[in-house]
Amino acid sequence: MNRGRAPIGLATLTGGNHAAAWATVRASVIGLVCVVLLFPIYWMVLNAIQPGAYTLRWPPYLSPQGLAWSNFAELFAEKPIAHWLAMSSFVAGIVVVATLVVVIPAAYALSRLRWRGRELLGLLLLFTQMMPGALVVAPELGLYRALGWTDNLAALAVVHAAFVVPLCTWILKTSFDAIPRDLLEAALCDGCNYWSAMLRVVLPLTRPGLVAVSVVAFFSSWNEYLFSSALITKSDLYTGSLGIATLITQLDTPIFVLMAAGVMFSVLPVAFYIAIQRHILAGITAGAVKG
Amino acid sequence: MAQAAIADVSERPRRLDLFGVHSGRIAYWLVLPLIALETVFVFYPIVRGILVSVEGPTGGIDFSNYATMLRDPDFFWIIVRTLVFTVLIDVIVLLVGLGIALLMNWRFPGRGFVRSLLTVPWAVPEVPVALTFLFMLDPTFGVFNLLARLLPGVTENPQWLLDPVLAMAIIVVVTVWKGFPFYSLVLLAALQTVPEELYEAARIDGAGAWAQFRHVTLPGVRASIALLAILAFIYSMQQFTLIWLITGGGPVDATTTLAPAIYLQAFRFYNFGYAGAMAVVGFIFSGLATFAFVAVQRRLAVHEA
Repeated sequence: MNRGRAPIGLATLTGGNHAAAWATVRASVIGLVCVVLLFPIYWMVLNAIQPGAYTLRWPPYLSPQGLAWSNFAELFAEKPIAHWLAMSSFVAGIVVVATLVVVIPAAYALSRLRWRGRELLGLLLLFTQMMPGALVVAPELGLYRALGWTDNLAALAVVHAAFVVPLCTWILKTSFDAIPRDLLEAALCDGCNYWSAMLRVVLPLTRPGLVAVSVVAFFSSWNEYLFSSALITKSDLYTGSLGIATLITQLDTPIFVLMAAGVMFSVLPVAFYIAIQRHILAGITAGAVKG
Repeated sequence: MAQAAIADVSERPRRLDLFGVHSGRIAYWLVLPLIALETVFVFYPIVRGILVSVEGPTGGIDFSNYATMLRDPDFFWIIVRTLVFTVLIDVIVLLVGLGIALLMNWRFPGRGFVRSLLTVPWAVPEVPVALTFLFMLDPTFGVFNLLARLLPGVTENPQWLLDPVLAMAIIVVVTVWKGFPFYSLVLLAALQTVPEELYEAARIDGAGAWAQFRHVTLPGVRASIALLAILAFIYSMQQFTLIWLITGGGPVDATTTLAPAIYLQAFRFYNFGYAGAMAVVGFIFSGLATFAFVAVQRRLAVHEA
Protein backbone atom coordinates (compact mmCIF):
# COMPACT_ATOMS: atom_id res chain seq x y z
CA MET A 1 0.00 0.00 0.00
CA ASN A 2 2.26 2.75 -1.20
CA ARG A 3 0.47 5.95 -0.43
CA GLY A 4 3.14 8.14 -2.03
CA ARG A 5 5.47 10.44 -0.14
CA ALA A 6 3.82 12.99 2.09
CA PRO A 7 5.21 16.54 2.13
CA ILE A 8 7.58 17.45 4.95
CA GLY A 9 6.27 18.86 8.23
CA LEU A 10 2.96 18.36 9.93
CA ALA A 11 1.66 16.25 7.11
CA THR A 12 4.45 13.74 7.68
CA LEU A 13 3.41 13.37 11.29
CA THR A 14 -0.27 12.96 10.59
CA GLY A 15 0.58 10.76 7.64
CA GLY A 16 2.71 8.63 9.93
CA ASN A 17 -0.08 8.41 12.50
CA HIS A 18 -2.52 7.62 9.78
CA ALA A 19 -0.35 4.80 8.49
CA ALA A 20 0.16 3.44 11.99
CA ALA A 21 -3.57 3.55 12.70
CA TRP A 22 -4.26 1.89 9.39
CA ALA A 23 -1.74 -0.87 10.15
CA THR A 24 -3.40 -1.48 13.53
CA VAL A 25 -6.85 -1.69 11.97
CA ARG A 26 -5.55 -4.08 9.36
CA ALA A 27 -3.81 -6.28 11.91
CA SER A 28 -6.92 -6.46 14.07
CA VAL A 29 -9.17 -7.29 11.11
CA ILE A 30 -6.84 -10.09 10.02
CA GLY A 31 -6.51 -11.33 13.59
CA LEU A 32 -10.26 -11.36 14.12
CA VAL A 33 -10.91 -13.18 10.83
CA CYS A 34 -8.31 -15.80 11.70
CA VAL A 35 -9.77 -16.35 15.17
CA VAL A 36 -13.30 -16.81 13.82
CA LEU A 37 -12.35 -19.03 10.91
CA LEU A 38 -9.89 -21.21 12.76
CA PHE A 39 -12.03 -21.62 15.86
CA PRO A 40 -13.39 -25.08 14.89
CA ILE A 41 -9.83 -26.36 14.36
CA TYR A 42 -8.76 -24.86 17.68
CA TRP A 43 -11.73 -26.43 19.39
CA MET A 44 -11.04 -29.89 18.01
CA VAL A 45 -7.36 -29.74 18.97
CA LEU A 46 -8.04 -28.17 22.37
CA ASN A 47 -10.55 -30.82 23.36
CA ALA A 48 -8.23 -33.54 22.14
CA ILE A 49 -5.31 -32.42 24.30
CA GLN A 50 -6.96 -31.18 27.50
CA PRO A 51 -8.27 -33.43 30.29
CA GLY A 52 -11.69 -34.84 29.42
CA ALA A 53 -13.31 -33.22 32.45
CA TYR A 54 -13.02 -29.81 30.79
CA THR A 55 -14.71 -31.09 27.65
CA LEU A 56 -17.75 -32.42 29.53
CA ARG A 57 -18.53 -29.18 31.25
CA TRP A 58 -21.06 -26.42 30.75
CA PRO A 59 -20.33 -23.59 30.17
CA PRO A 60 -17.06 -24.56 28.48
CA TYR A 61 -13.78 -22.74 29.11
CA LEU A 62 -12.65 -21.09 25.88
CA SER A 63 -8.98 -21.07 26.81
CA PRO A 64 -6.73 -24.06 27.56
CA GLN A 65 -6.93 -25.12 31.20
CA GLY A 66 -4.49 -28.00 31.18
CA LEU A 67 -2.66 -30.44 29.01
CA ALA A 68 -3.12 -34.20 28.98
CA TRP A 69 -2.33 -36.91 26.47
CA SER A 70 -4.66 -39.33 28.20
CA ASN A 71 -7.31 -38.89 25.47
CA PHE A 72 -4.89 -40.23 22.89
CA ALA A 73 -3.86 -43.05 25.23
CA GLU A 74 -7.52 -43.96 25.69
CA LEU A 75 -8.13 -43.71 21.93
CA PHE A 76 -5.31 -46.10 21.08
CA ALA A 77 -6.18 -48.46 23.94
CA GLU A 78 -9.94 -48.65 23.37
CA LYS A 79 -10.37 -48.18 19.63
CA PRO A 80 -8.61 -49.82 16.68
CA ILE A 81 -7.52 -46.40 15.39
CA ALA A 82 -4.04 -47.64 14.44
CA HIS A 83 -5.60 -50.43 12.40
CA TRP A 84 -7.99 -48.01 10.68
CA LEU A 85 -5.20 -45.63 9.78
CA ALA A 86 -3.14 -48.55 8.47
CA MET A 87 -6.08 -49.60 6.28
CA SER A 88 -6.48 -46.02 5.03
CA SER A 89 -2.77 -45.88 4.17
CA PHE A 90 -2.95 -49.22 2.38
CA VAL A 91 -5.88 -48.14 0.19
CA ALA A 92 -4.42 -44.69 -0.43
CA GLY A 93 -1.04 -46.19 -1.35
CA ILE A 94 -2.64 -48.34 -4.05
CA VAL A 95 -4.59 -45.31 -5.26
CA VAL A 96 -1.36 -43.32 -5.67
CA VAL A 97 0.33 -46.06 -7.72
CA ALA A 98 -2.71 -46.67 -9.91
CA THR A 99 -3.25 -42.95 -10.44
CA LEU A 100 0.35 -42.31 -11.46
CA VAL A 101 0.34 -45.22 -13.90
CA VAL A 102 -2.81 -43.95 -15.57
CA VAL A 103 -2.21 -40.22 -15.33
CA ILE A 104 1.41 -39.76 -16.47
CA PRO A 105 0.93 -41.03 -20.03
CA ALA A 106 -2.54 -39.51 -20.37
CA ALA A 107 -1.49 -36.05 -19.16
CA TYR A 108 1.46 -36.16 -21.53
CA ALA A 109 -0.76 -37.03 -24.47
CA LEU A 110 -3.22 -34.27 -23.55
CA SER A 111 -0.50 -31.69 -23.08
CA ARG A 112 1.99 -32.43 -25.83
CA LEU A 113 0.50 -34.48 -28.61
CA ARG A 114 -2.03 -33.55 -31.26
CA TRP A 115 -4.62 -36.18 -32.00
CA ARG A 116 -8.26 -36.51 -32.92
CA GLY A 117 -10.55 -36.92 -29.93
CA ARG A 118 -8.33 -34.96 -27.56
CA GLU A 119 -10.99 -32.34 -26.89
CA LEU A 120 -13.66 -34.99 -26.46
CA LEU A 121 -11.57 -36.80 -23.88
CA GLY A 122 -10.99 -33.52 -22.07
CA LEU A 123 -14.73 -32.95 -21.94
CA LEU A 124 -15.40 -36.46 -20.66
CA LEU A 125 -12.79 -36.03 -17.93
CA LEU A 126 -14.31 -32.74 -16.93
CA PHE A 127 -17.76 -34.31 -16.81
CA THR A 128 -16.44 -37.10 -14.58
CA GLN A 129 -14.78 -34.60 -12.31
CA MET A 130 -17.94 -32.55 -12.02
CA MET A 131 -20.27 -35.48 -11.41
CA PRO A 132 -21.44 -36.05 -7.83
CA GLY A 133 -20.31 -39.47 -6.62
CA ALA A 134 -23.70 -40.00 -4.96
CA LEU A 135 -25.25 -40.32 -8.44
CA VAL A 136 -23.36 -43.51 -9.23
CA VAL A 137 -22.76 -45.10 -5.86
CA ALA A 138 -25.75 -47.45 -6.18
CA PRO A 139 -24.92 -48.82 -9.65
CA GLU A 140 -21.25 -48.96 -8.62
CA LEU A 141 -22.23 -51.21 -5.73
CA GLY A 142 -24.20 -53.32 -8.21
CA LEU A 143 -21.12 -53.66 -10.40
CA TYR A 144 -18.93 -54.52 -7.42
CA ARG A 145 -21.38 -57.17 -6.22
CA ALA A 146 -21.43 -58.69 -9.70
CA LEU A 147 -17.63 -58.80 -9.71
CA GLY A 148 -17.50 -60.11 -6.13
CA TRP A 149 -15.35 -57.10 -5.19
CA THR A 150 -17.24 -55.80 -2.17
CA ASP A 151 -15.36 -55.88 1.16
CA ASN A 152 -12.09 -55.73 -0.73
CA LEU A 153 -9.78 -52.82 0.01
CA ALA A 154 -7.74 -53.12 -3.20
CA ALA A 155 -10.98 -52.99 -5.19
CA LEU A 156 -12.09 -49.95 -3.19
CA ALA A 157 -8.80 -48.32 -4.20
CA VAL A 158 -9.70 -48.82 -7.87
CA VAL A 159 -12.91 -46.82 -7.58
CA HIS A 160 -11.11 -44.15 -5.55
CA ALA A 161 -8.53 -43.92 -8.32
CA ALA A 162 -11.21 -43.69 -11.02
CA PHE A 163 -12.73 -40.65 -9.30
CA VAL A 164 -9.49 -38.79 -8.61
CA VAL A 165 -7.84 -39.45 -11.98
CA PRO A 166 -9.58 -36.60 -13.86
CA LEU A 167 -8.38 -33.92 -11.43
CA CYS A 168 -4.89 -35.44 -11.34
CA THR A 169 -4.74 -35.46 -15.12
CA TRP A 170 -5.39 -31.71 -15.17
CA ILE A 171 -2.82 -31.03 -12.47
CA LEU A 172 -0.14 -32.98 -14.30
CA LYS A 173 -1.15 -31.57 -17.69
CA THR A 174 -0.54 -28.03 -16.43
CA SER A 175 2.93 -29.03 -15.30
CA PHE A 176 3.70 -30.65 -18.69
CA ASP A 177 2.34 -27.51 -20.35
CA ALA A 178 4.88 -25.43 -18.45
CA ILE A 179 7.89 -27.23 -19.94
CA PRO A 180 9.25 -25.20 -22.85
CA ARG A 181 9.11 -27.18 -26.06
CA ASP A 182 12.58 -25.92 -27.00
CA LEU A 183 14.06 -27.80 -24.07
CA LEU A 184 12.82 -31.12 -25.35
CA GLU A 185 13.96 -30.25 -28.86
CA ALA A 186 17.39 -29.28 -27.56
CA ALA A 187 17.68 -32.60 -25.76
CA LEU A 188 16.72 -34.42 -28.96
CA CYS A 189 19.28 -32.44 -30.94
CA ASP A 190 21.93 -33.29 -28.36
CA GLY A 191 21.52 -36.88 -29.35
CA CYS A 192 19.07 -38.07 -26.76
CA ASN A 193 16.43 -40.32 -28.19
CA TYR A 194 12.78 -39.67 -27.46
CA TRP A 195 12.57 -41.84 -24.36
CA SER A 196 15.81 -40.74 -22.75
CA ALA A 197 14.77 -37.12 -23.37
CA MET A 198 11.58 -37.98 -21.50
CA LEU A 199 13.37 -39.52 -18.56
CA ARG A 200 16.20 -37.02 -18.27
CA VAL A 201 14.50 -33.76 -19.19
CA VAL A 202 10.74 -33.93 -18.93
CA LEU A 203 10.15 -36.07 -15.83
CA PRO A 204 12.55 -34.17 -13.54
CA LEU A 205 10.89 -30.90 -14.54
CA THR A 206 7.45 -32.27 -13.71
CA ARG A 207 8.51 -33.49 -10.28
CA PRO A 208 6.45 -30.86 -8.40
CA GLY A 209 3.45 -31.89 -10.48
CA LEU A 210 4.07 -35.56 -9.74
CA VAL A 211 4.35 -34.83 -6.02
CA ALA A 212 1.14 -32.81 -6.13
CA VAL A 213 -0.70 -35.59 -7.97
CA SER A 214 0.51 -38.19 -5.48
CA VAL A 215 -0.59 -36.09 -2.52
CA VAL A 216 -4.00 -35.36 -4.05
CA ALA A 217 -4.55 -39.02 -4.93
CA PHE A 218 -3.43 -40.22 -1.50
CA PHE A 219 -5.62 -37.87 0.50
CA SER A 220 -8.67 -37.94 -1.72
CA SER A 221 -8.74 -41.64 -0.91
CA TRP A 222 -7.80 -41.11 2.75
CA ASN A 223 -10.67 -38.61 3.16
CA GLU A 224 -13.28 -40.45 1.09
CA TYR A 225 -16.39 -41.64 2.89
CA LEU A 226 -19.30 -42.27 0.48
CA PHE A 227 -17.91 -45.11 -1.66
CA SER A 228 -16.05 -46.62 1.29
CA SER A 229 -19.25 -46.84 3.30
CA ALA A 230 -21.13 -48.45 0.41
CA LEU A 231 -18.46 -50.97 -0.63
CA ILE A 232 -17.00 -51.96 2.76
CA THR A 233 -19.22 -53.52 5.42
CA LYS A 234 -16.84 -55.67 7.50
CA SER A 235 -15.59 -53.72 10.51
CA ASP A 236 -12.10 -55.28 10.38
CA LEU A 237 -11.68 -53.67 6.94
CA TYR A 238 -12.72 -50.21 8.13
CA THR A 239 -10.60 -47.30 7.00
CA GLY A 240 -10.13 -44.15 9.10
CA SER A 241 -13.13 -42.30 7.72
CA LEU A 242 -15.43 -45.32 8.16
CA GLY A 243 -14.15 -46.10 11.65
CA ILE A 244 -14.48 -42.56 12.92
CA ALA A 245 -17.89 -42.14 11.30
CA THR A 246 -19.12 -45.23 13.18
CA LEU A 247 -17.78 -43.82 16.43
CA ILE A 248 -20.08 -40.83 15.86
CA THR A 249 -23.16 -43.01 15.60
CA GLN A 250 -22.28 -45.52 18.32
CA LEU A 251 -22.56 -42.84 21.04
CA ASP A 252 -20.52 -44.85 23.54
CA THR A 253 -17.29 -42.98 22.81
CA PRO A 254 -16.54 -39.93 24.98
CA ILE A 255 -16.36 -36.68 23.02
CA PHE A 256 -12.74 -36.01 23.97
CA VAL A 257 -11.69 -39.38 22.55
CA LEU A 258 -13.59 -38.55 19.35
CA MET A 259 -11.71 -35.25 19.11
CA ALA A 260 -8.41 -37.08 19.56
CA ALA A 261 -9.44 -39.42 16.73
CA GLY A 262 -10.30 -36.41 14.57
CA VAL A 263 -6.89 -34.89 15.20
CA MET A 264 -5.07 -38.15 14.44
CA PHE A 265 -6.96 -38.47 11.17
CA SER A 266 -6.42 -34.83 10.11
CA VAL A 267 -2.74 -34.26 10.86
CA LEU A 268 -1.33 -35.86 7.72
CA PRO A 269 -3.66 -34.32 5.11
CA VAL A 270 -3.33 -30.86 6.66
CA ALA A 271 0.47 -30.97 6.63
CA PHE A 272 0.67 -32.23 3.05
CA TYR A 273 -2.02 -30.01 1.58
CA ILE A 274 -0.43 -26.87 2.97
CA ALA A 275 2.85 -27.92 1.38
CA ILE A 276 1.45 -28.45 -2.10
CA GLN A 277 -1.56 -26.10 -2.36
CA ARG A 278 -0.03 -23.92 -5.06
CA HIS A 279 0.44 -26.84 -7.43
CA ILE A 280 -3.11 -28.10 -7.03
CA LEU A 281 -4.88 -24.80 -7.58
CA ALA A 282 -3.55 -24.34 -11.11
CA GLY A 283 -4.75 -27.82 -12.01
CA ILE A 284 -8.23 -27.42 -10.60
CA THR A 285 -8.95 -24.18 -12.40
CA ALA A 286 -7.12 -25.07 -15.61
CA GLY A 287 -9.28 -28.13 -16.04
CA ALA A 288 -10.20 -27.67 -19.66
CA VAL A 289 -8.51 -28.35 -22.95
CA LYS A 290 -7.14 -25.20 -24.45
CA GLY A 291 -5.52 -24.71 -27.86
CA MET B 1 14.92 -9.17 -37.24
CA ALA B 2 11.44 -9.48 -38.62
CA GLN B 3 12.68 -11.92 -41.23
CA ALA B 4 14.39 -14.05 -38.64
CA ALA B 5 11.14 -14.20 -36.70
CA ILE B 6 9.25 -15.28 -39.80
CA ALA B 7 11.87 -17.89 -40.63
CA ASP B 8 11.62 -19.18 -37.10
CA VAL B 9 7.85 -19.44 -37.34
CA SER B 10 8.00 -21.26 -40.66
CA GLU B 11 10.54 -23.67 -39.32
CA ARG B 12 8.64 -24.56 -36.18
CA PRO B 13 5.79 -26.61 -37.64
CA ARG B 14 8.22 -28.94 -39.42
CA ARG B 15 10.05 -29.69 -36.21
CA LEU B 16 6.75 -30.27 -34.47
CA ASP B 17 5.77 -32.68 -37.21
CA LEU B 18 8.76 -34.72 -36.18
CA PHE B 19 6.82 -35.39 -32.99
CA GLY B 20 3.69 -35.69 -35.04
CA VAL B 21 4.98 -38.89 -36.64
CA HIS B 22 5.15 -40.48 -33.22
CA SER B 23 2.24 -38.69 -31.74
CA GLY B 24 -0.56 -39.80 -34.07
CA ARG B 25 -0.79 -43.36 -32.94
CA ILE B 26 1.12 -43.27 -29.69
CA ALA B 27 -1.38 -40.84 -28.15
CA TYR B 28 -4.14 -43.43 -28.20
CA TRP B 29 -1.95 -45.98 -26.42
CA LEU B 30 -1.04 -43.35 -23.84
CA VAL B 31 -4.65 -42.54 -22.96
CA LEU B 32 -5.87 -46.12 -23.17
CA PRO B 33 -5.42 -46.97 -19.45
CA LEU B 34 -7.26 -43.78 -18.51
CA ILE B 35 -10.14 -44.49 -20.86
CA ALA B 36 -10.35 -48.11 -19.70
CA LEU B 37 -10.47 -47.13 -16.02
CA GLU B 38 -13.09 -44.42 -16.51
CA THR B 39 -15.21 -46.55 -18.84
CA VAL B 40 -15.44 -49.52 -16.49
CA PHE B 41 -15.73 -47.71 -13.16
CA VAL B 42 -17.51 -44.47 -14.06
CA PHE B 43 -19.26 -44.55 -17.42
CA TYR B 44 -20.49 -48.13 -17.21
CA PRO B 45 -22.10 -47.57 -13.78
CA ILE B 46 -23.76 -44.43 -15.17
CA VAL B 47 -25.25 -46.43 -18.03
CA ARG B 48 -26.22 -49.19 -15.61
CA GLY B 49 -27.99 -46.68 -13.38
CA ILE B 50 -29.90 -45.26 -16.34
CA LEU B 51 -30.90 -48.74 -17.53
CA VAL B 52 -32.17 -49.67 -14.07
CA SER B 53 -34.26 -46.50 -14.03
CA VAL B 54 -36.11 -47.45 -17.23
CA GLU B 55 -36.48 -51.13 -16.48
CA GLY B 56 -40.09 -52.21 -16.07
CA PRO B 57 -41.11 -54.63 -13.29
CA THR B 58 -41.52 -57.42 -15.87
CA GLY B 59 -38.67 -56.34 -18.13
CA GLY B 60 -38.89 -54.05 -21.15
CA ILE B 61 -38.59 -50.31 -21.18
CA ASP B 62 -40.81 -48.44 -18.80
CA PHE B 63 -40.74 -44.80 -17.81
CA SER B 64 -42.95 -45.13 -14.76
CA ASN B 65 -40.08 -44.15 -12.42
CA TYR B 66 -39.86 -40.85 -14.24
CA ALA B 67 -43.60 -40.37 -14.24
CA THR B 68 -43.71 -41.03 -10.49
CA MET B 69 -40.76 -38.73 -9.91
CA LEU B 70 -42.23 -35.82 -11.84
CA ARG B 71 -45.56 -36.13 -9.99
CA ASP B 72 -43.93 -36.60 -6.59
CA PRO B 73 -44.17 -33.43 -4.45
CA ASP B 74 -41.25 -34.75 -2.38
CA PHE B 75 -39.07 -34.73 -5.47
CA PHE B 76 -40.16 -31.18 -6.28
CA TRP B 77 -39.07 -30.07 -2.80
CA ILE B 78 -35.77 -31.95 -3.11
CA ILE B 79 -34.99 -29.94 -6.23
CA VAL B 80 -36.07 -26.68 -4.58
CA ARG B 81 -33.91 -27.48 -1.54
CA THR B 82 -30.96 -28.41 -3.74
CA LEU B 83 -31.24 -25.12 -5.61
CA VAL B 84 -31.62 -23.07 -2.42
CA PHE B 85 -28.61 -24.86 -0.94
CA THR B 86 -26.41 -24.45 -4.03
CA VAL B 87 -27.33 -20.79 -4.56
CA LEU B 88 -26.74 -19.95 -0.88
CA ILE B 89 -23.37 -21.69 -0.91
CA ASP B 90 -22.43 -20.09 -4.21
CA VAL B 91 -23.13 -16.54 -3.04
CA ILE B 92 -21.76 -16.88 0.49
CA VAL B 93 -18.62 -18.82 -0.38
CA LEU B 94 -17.71 -16.36 -3.15
CA LEU B 95 -18.27 -13.35 -0.87
CA VAL B 96 -16.26 -14.89 1.96
CA GLY B 97 -13.61 -16.14 -0.47
CA LEU B 98 -13.24 -12.72 -2.09
CA GLY B 99 -13.16 -10.98 1.30
CA ILE B 100 -10.38 -13.23 2.57
CA ALA B 101 -8.50 -12.91 -0.72
CA LEU B 102 -8.62 -9.10 -0.42
CA LEU B 103 -7.29 -9.33 3.16
CA MET B 104 -4.50 -11.68 2.08
CA ASN B 105 -3.63 -9.34 -0.77
CA TRP B 106 -2.48 -6.73 1.75
CA ARG B 107 1.22 -6.82 2.43
CA PHE B 108 1.78 -7.57 6.10
CA PRO B 109 4.40 -9.46 8.07
CA GLY B 110 3.59 -13.16 8.42
CA ARG B 111 1.32 -13.18 5.38
CA GLY B 112 2.60 -16.55 4.16
CA PHE B 113 1.95 -18.07 7.57
CA VAL B 114 -1.58 -16.67 7.81
CA ARG B 115 -2.30 -17.90 4.31
CA SER B 116 -1.21 -21.40 5.28
CA LEU B 117 -3.34 -21.27 8.43
CA LEU B 118 -6.40 -20.30 6.44
CA THR B 119 -5.86 -23.30 4.15
CA VAL B 120 -6.38 -25.69 7.04
CA PRO B 121 -10.21 -25.99 6.87
CA TRP B 122 -9.90 -27.09 3.25
CA ALA B 123 -7.36 -29.78 4.17
CA VAL B 124 -9.18 -31.30 7.14
CA PRO B 125 -11.12 -34.38 5.99
CA GLU B 126 -14.92 -34.18 6.02
CA VAL B 127 -15.46 -36.83 8.69
CA PRO B 128 -13.54 -34.97 11.43
CA VAL B 129 -15.18 -31.71 10.29
CA ALA B 130 -18.61 -33.25 10.78
CA LEU B 131 -17.48 -34.64 14.13
CA THR B 132 -16.19 -31.29 15.39
CA PHE B 133 -19.28 -29.36 14.35
CA LEU B 134 -21.55 -31.99 15.89
CA PHE B 135 -19.68 -31.46 19.14
CA MET B 136 -19.83 -27.68 18.86
CA LEU B 137 -23.61 -27.93 18.27
CA ASP B 138 -24.21 -30.40 21.08
CA PRO B 139 -27.25 -29.16 23.06
CA THR B 140 -25.51 -29.92 26.37
CA PHE B 141 -21.82 -29.10 25.95
CA GLY B 142 -21.65 -27.38 22.56
CA VAL B 143 -19.72 -24.13 22.41
CA PHE B 144 -22.15 -22.65 19.85
CA ASN B 145 -24.65 -22.41 22.70
CA LEU B 146 -22.49 -19.66 24.21
CA LEU B 147 -23.07 -17.64 21.04
CA ALA B 148 -26.80 -18.31 21.07
CA ARG B 149 -27.02 -17.23 24.72
CA LEU B 150 -25.65 -13.85 23.73
CA LEU B 151 -28.89 -13.20 21.84
CA PRO B 152 -31.60 -11.49 23.86
CA GLY B 153 -34.32 -13.83 25.04
CA VAL B 154 -32.34 -17.06 24.61
CA THR B 155 -32.16 -18.80 27.97
CA GLU B 156 -32.07 -22.43 26.84
CA ASN B 157 -29.51 -24.12 24.61
CA PRO B 158 -31.14 -24.43 21.19
CA GLN B 159 -31.78 -27.83 19.60
CA TRP B 160 -29.68 -26.81 16.62
CA LEU B 161 -30.28 -29.80 14.43
CA LEU B 162 -33.97 -30.32 15.20
CA ASP B 163 -35.10 -27.06 13.63
CA PRO B 164 -35.49 -27.28 9.81
CA VAL B 165 -34.25 -23.75 9.07
CA LEU B 166 -31.42 -23.85 11.60
CA ALA B 167 -30.32 -27.27 10.33
CA MET B 168 -30.15 -26.00 6.74
CA ALA B 169 -28.29 -22.87 7.88
CA ILE B 170 -25.78 -25.05 9.76
CA ILE B 171 -25.16 -27.26 6.76
CA VAL B 172 -24.58 -24.14 4.65
CA VAL B 173 -22.19 -22.67 7.24
CA VAL B 174 -20.19 -25.89 7.56
CA THR B 175 -19.97 -26.36 3.78
CA VAL B 176 -18.84 -22.77 3.29
CA TRP B 177 -16.33 -23.06 6.12
CA LYS B 178 -14.89 -26.24 4.63
CA GLY B 179 -14.71 -24.78 1.14
CA PHE B 180 -13.77 -21.10 1.40
CA PRO B 181 -9.95 -21.53 1.39
CA PHE B 182 -10.04 -22.93 -2.13
CA TYR B 183 -12.00 -19.94 -3.41
CA SER B 184 -9.86 -17.38 -1.62
CA LEU B 185 -6.61 -18.95 -2.82
CA VAL B 186 -7.77 -18.92 -6.44
CA LEU B 187 -9.09 -15.36 -6.10
CA LEU B 188 -5.89 -14.26 -4.40
CA ALA B 189 -3.90 -15.59 -7.35
CA ALA B 190 -6.24 -13.66 -9.65
CA LEU B 191 -5.90 -10.46 -7.59
CA GLN B 192 -2.14 -10.69 -7.87
CA THR B 193 -2.35 -10.64 -11.66
CA VAL B 194 -4.09 -7.22 -11.65
CA PRO B 195 -1.29 -4.81 -12.67
CA GLU B 196 -0.29 -2.27 -10.01
CA GLU B 197 -0.18 0.42 -12.75
CA LEU B 198 -3.95 0.20 -13.14
CA TYR B 199 -4.38 1.13 -9.49
CA GLU B 200 -1.89 3.95 -9.85
CA ALA B 201 -3.67 5.27 -12.93
CA ALA B 202 -6.98 5.09 -11.07
CA ARG B 203 -5.54 6.99 -8.11
CA ILE B 204 -4.17 9.68 -10.40
CA ASP B 205 -7.65 9.98 -11.84
CA GLY B 206 -8.84 10.58 -8.28
CA ALA B 207 -10.52 7.21 -7.69
CA GLY B 208 -11.18 6.37 -4.03
CA ALA B 209 -10.89 2.92 -2.50
CA TRP B 210 -14.39 1.87 -3.54
CA ALA B 211 -14.01 3.20 -7.10
CA GLN B 212 -10.70 1.35 -7.41
CA PHE B 213 -12.35 -1.85 -6.22
CA ARG B 214 -15.31 -1.37 -8.51
CA HIS B 215 -13.41 -0.40 -11.68
CA VAL B 216 -10.02 -2.09 -11.32
CA THR B 217 -10.21 -5.03 -8.90
CA LEU B 218 -13.59 -6.47 -9.88
CA PRO B 219 -13.01 -6.46 -13.67
CA GLY B 220 -9.64 -8.08 -12.99
CA VAL B 221 -11.13 -11.04 -11.14
CA ARG B 222 -14.49 -11.27 -12.89
CA ALA B 223 -13.39 -14.22 -15.03
CA SER B 224 -12.15 -16.18 -12.04
CA ILE B 225 -15.38 -15.45 -10.19
CA ALA B 226 -17.38 -16.81 -13.13
CA LEU B 227 -15.40 -20.07 -13.15
CA LEU B 228 -15.53 -20.38 -9.37
CA ALA B 229 -19.29 -19.78 -9.34
CA ILE B 230 -19.74 -22.82 -11.57
CA LEU B 231 -17.34 -24.90 -9.47
CA ALA B 232 -19.15 -23.85 -6.29
CA PHE B 233 -22.44 -24.96 -7.85
CA ILE B 234 -20.94 -28.36 -8.66
CA TYR B 235 -19.25 -28.85 -5.32
CA SER B 236 -22.40 -28.02 -3.41
CA MET B 237 -24.37 -30.44 -5.62
CA GLN B 238 -21.77 -33.07 -4.74
CA GLN B 239 -22.02 -32.43 -1.03
CA PHE B 240 -23.02 -35.66 0.64
CA THR B 241 -20.72 -36.56 3.52
CA LEU B 242 -21.18 -33.43 5.62
CA ILE B 243 -24.97 -33.49 5.22
CA TRP B 244 -25.14 -37.19 5.87
CA LEU B 245 -23.02 -37.19 9.00
CA ILE B 246 -24.35 -33.96 10.52
CA THR B 247 -28.10 -34.14 9.88
CA GLY B 248 -28.62 -37.37 7.97
CA GLY B 249 -30.80 -35.27 5.65
CA GLY B 250 -33.11 -34.34 8.53
CA PRO B 251 -34.91 -33.11 10.54
CA VAL B 252 -37.59 -35.03 8.58
CA ASP B 253 -35.99 -34.15 5.23
CA ALA B 254 -35.17 -30.46 5.66
CA THR B 255 -31.57 -30.93 4.51
CA THR B 256 -32.15 -33.70 1.96
CA THR B 257 -30.65 -32.32 -1.23
CA LEU B 258 -30.37 -34.43 -4.37
CA ALA B 259 -27.22 -36.36 -3.34
CA PRO B 260 -28.51 -37.67 0.01
CA ALA B 261 -31.96 -38.18 -1.52
CA ILE B 262 -30.54 -40.57 -4.12
CA TYR B 263 -28.53 -42.36 -1.45
CA LEU B 264 -31.62 -42.75 0.74
CA GLN B 265 -33.73 -44.10 -2.14
CA ALA B 266 -31.08 -46.67 -3.01
CA PHE B 267 -29.75 -47.75 0.36
CA ARG B 268 -32.65 -47.20 2.74
CA PHE B 269 -35.66 -47.93 0.54
CA TYR B 270 -33.88 -50.22 -1.97
CA ASN B 271 -35.65 -48.29 -4.70
CA PHE B 272 -32.84 -48.55 -7.25
CA GLY B 273 -35.00 -47.64 -10.24
CA TYR B 274 -36.27 -44.47 -8.60
CA ALA B 275 -32.76 -43.61 -7.37
CA GLY B 276 -31.55 -44.04 -10.97
CA ALA B 277 -34.24 -41.69 -12.28
CA MET B 278 -33.22 -39.02 -9.76
CA ALA B 279 -29.57 -39.59 -10.70
CA VAL B 280 -30.44 -38.80 -14.32
CA VAL B 281 -31.66 -35.38 -13.17
CA GLY B 282 -28.29 -35.00 -11.42
CA PHE B 283 -26.43 -35.96 -14.61
CA ILE B 284 -28.33 -33.27 -16.49
CA PHE B 285 -27.39 -30.66 -13.88
CA SER B 286 -23.71 -31.63 -13.83
CA GLY B 287 -23.62 -31.92 -17.63
CA LEU B 288 -24.99 -28.40 -17.98
CA ALA B 289 -22.48 -27.13 -15.43
CA THR B 290 -19.64 -28.82 -17.32
CA PHE B 291 -20.63 -27.08 -20.54
CA ALA B 292 -20.99 -23.75 -18.77
CA PHE B 293 -17.49 -24.22 -17.34
CA VAL B 294 -16.02 -24.99 -20.75
CA ALA B 295 -17.88 -22.06 -22.34
CA VAL B 296 -16.55 -19.61 -19.77
CA GLN B 297 -13.05 -20.98 -20.18
CA ARG B 298 -13.21 -20.72 -23.97
CA ARG B 299 -14.19 -17.08 -23.66
CA LEU B 300 -11.28 -16.50 -21.30
CA ALA B 301 -8.87 -18.15 -23.71
CA VAL B 302 -10.11 -15.84 -26.47
CA HIS B 303 -9.63 -12.82 -24.21
CA GLU B 304 -6.11 -13.89 -23.32
CA ALA B 305 -5.11 -14.40 -26.96
